[in-house]
Amino acid sequence: MALTAVAAVTLTACAGPSVGATSGDDASAAEDVDWSQVEPADEITFWSNHPGQSQAYEERIIAEFEAETGIAVDLVTAGANYDEVAQRFQAASQTDEVPDVVIASDVWWFRYHLNDQIMPVDDVLEHLGADAADYQPALYADYEYDDQHWAVPYARSTPLFYYNKDVWSAAGLPDRGPKTWAELEKWDAKVSKEVGDDGSTFGLSTGPSWGAWWFENMIWGQGGAYSDGFDLTLDTPESVAGGEFLHDLFHESGVASLSADDVMADFSAGVIASTIGSTGSLTGALDAASFEVGTAYLPDGPDGGGTPTGGTGVAIASSSTPEEQLAAAMFVEYLTDTENTAAFSQLTGYMPVRTSAVESETMQQTYAETPQFRTAVDQLADKARVQDDVRVFVPGADALLNEAIEQIVIEGTDPATAFESIAPRIETAYTENVEPYL
Amino acid sequence: MTTVVTPRAAGTPAAPPDRGAPPAAPPHPHRSRLGARRRRSALLWALLLAGPNVLLLLVFVYRPLLQSLYLSTLQWNLGSPVARFIGFGNYAEWLTAPTTGRVVLTTLVFTVATVGGAMVLGLGLALLLNRRLRGRGAARTVAFAPYVLSGFAVGILWLFMFDPRYGLIQELLGWVGLGSPAWYTDSPWPLVMIVVVYLWKNLGYVALIYLAGLQAVPQDLKDAAALDGASSARTLRAIVLPLLTPTTFFLLVTMMLASLQSFDIIQAMTQGGPLGSTTTLMYSIYEESFVTGRAGYASAVATVLFLVLLAVTAVQMRYVQRKVHYS
Repeated sequence: MALTAVAAVTLTACAGPSVGATSGDDASAAEDVDWSQVEPADEITFWSNHPGQSQAYEERIIAEFEAETGIAVDLVTAGANYDEVAQRFQAASQTDEVPDVVIASDVWWFRYHLNDQIMPVDDVLEHLGADAADYQPALYADYEYDDQHWAVPYARSTPLFYYNKDVWSAAGLPDRGPKTWAELEKWDAKVSKEVGDDGSTFGLSTGPSWGAWWFENMIWGQGGAYSDGFDLTLDTPESVAGGEFLHDLFHESGVASLSADDVMADFSAGVIASTIGSTGSLTGALDAASFEVGTAYLPDGPDGGGTPTGGTGVAIASSSTPEEQLAAAMFVEYLTDTENTAAFSQLTGYMPVRTSAVESETMQQTYAETPQFRTAVDQLADKARVQDDVRVFVPGADALLNEAIEQIVIEGTDPATAFESIAPRIETAYTENVEPYL
Repeated sequence: MTTVVTPRAAGTPAAPPDRGAPPAAPPHPHRSRLGARRRRSALLWALLLAGPNVLLLLVFVYRPLLQSLYLSTLQWNLGSPVARFIGFGNYAEWLTAPTTGRVVLTTLVFTVATVGGAMVLGLGLALLLNRRLRGRGAARTVAFAPYVLSGFAVGILWLFMFDPRYGLIQELLGWVGLGSPAWYTDSPWPLVMIVVVYLWKNLGYVALIYLAGLQAVPQDLKDAAALDGASSARTLRAIVLPLLTPTTFFLLVTMMLASLQSFDIIQAMTQGGPLGSTTTLMYSIYEESFVTGRAGYASAVATVLFLVLLAVTAVQMRYVQRKVHYS
């Protein structure tokens, strides 16, 4: 039946939404739990997509956690990526099939919060004596709203500039990334000779939870932004200039080509000599490429630039019992403690989420052996900028921004027109889905 | 009603039922009571036998269907504990949304291409497999196999083959001196890609059903046509195809319903993109409810699709079935 897709949701959502009520009132009531009176549950559930192909790692951590605390963690593969986990988590709301710990990516956690699906972690972490101040401030602050934190950082990344060192040296270029986009354009003549007719100097791919992420660097580089607070600023001359820069990269200077599906596959195969990829792709690239892989900061534009942070945190479900929540918090703390975040970073290339882990012996040794791992951490300290509110806080805005980016990249649409085509829809999403709940 | 049904001779129209006449009194009241008891026990049996199925239908089809209708009147975000009643607001929005036209057109193109293509190619394949060839059994199995594969797996595999840089298809095109189109990115190639894969997957099903139909065509009719000197093309047109119309009708209905609801291949290969160029009505329901999270609006679109399916079935029942020759 045609209605099955939505019916599947309603089947599970037995109670359904309450019509006419306003949100936010009852959420705070549940927060005042005296954690010292709570005994942790014996068993909890964790929904993950195993970022950076970390399933075996997560299983190992869970086994160690159980040995230490006696709390069993049921690890569920709830999707292949952040979006799929989020879709399932939302579809499961108001049912019994809700996990206690869930992956909460940069563009999804706020929607969980708007739906009252997750709880603030500050109190329970304090009760556990978890050193929240040790989380890298730029990463932990991403989950802050209403003076509370709604998740803790787990698999956190920034976009990185990846380049093919072999091609670079054959082209007679210095062994570093371009400082500015203009410099990359200048290098294009030399590099494109080395990659042949089928390849290109630089390649990018688009897609939800991706295109609108790296583009922040470019729009910021021209002095623009998606929004100022929740006010859209896509129509300012600076933002349009950001779009024009992207347009020219593909359609004027021809420096960039569009990678069909997996940009890292094209890079590892040597078809494109450089690209933007997530930190989380680093280990994969190092393994797959037959050449030496270089990593660098994202290039600047005339107005600077900077890098957004992204990836995912882990959040605790508000619908779980206090006992489960306490056990969940213990697990979350364990998963992101100094030792484990260092091990996770070493394995996947994601950034260590604790300051102490960056300084740890494990990481220092990794950085000495594989300096590429160091770039993301340095870039975070030097260039990180908080993402524009609209992308991370307005449901669906990321997908719409990506649509405008695809219009520009694929169809060569005039950037101002492309932005105009999505702006009203973002505004609708804001007035319908965010404003009433603030 | 006590209308007496008589077997009617071919060609004579059925006698109109006499609507105004009161029902004749039953001749034997005693036997009628017995009949009533028998009817009641028959009803009981019917309930007992059909009950579990009806119950399942009620719980898993009709209840969600009704609930979805209800949700379509709400402004409701997936996962949100609260919602707002907006009546037909979602429907009005769908009718005026700038993307609606494109989605409808894409759905139309996809449906016509997949249903039409599968019917024509499937019939051709069936005619081929109906001949006395060596290895016919194996060929039939091979032709039918894709139909039982998972659509998602099929989509992923074909995605590799279509890859404009490393795929098998660009290799094959290269042999005849052609470059690969940008299958993933350049409209209309993504849609073409989806149609090709959908056809490949469903061809075997159409061929199998047609094959059964072909084997039911009486040999004596074909022999008679051959005696009269009819060419094989003429035999196909004048005898085989008309006798296949029940099969064609059945396939038309089932294929159209399946095509309008196809999801797995699109999800695996293009996720409705790029730029919505492969977003069908069905896919837009998924997108609105799970990506944008607008479950109320998605329910309204689902209701629209439901009405379309209902209309397609009704039209086909009413007009196409009349032209069907049941031998």
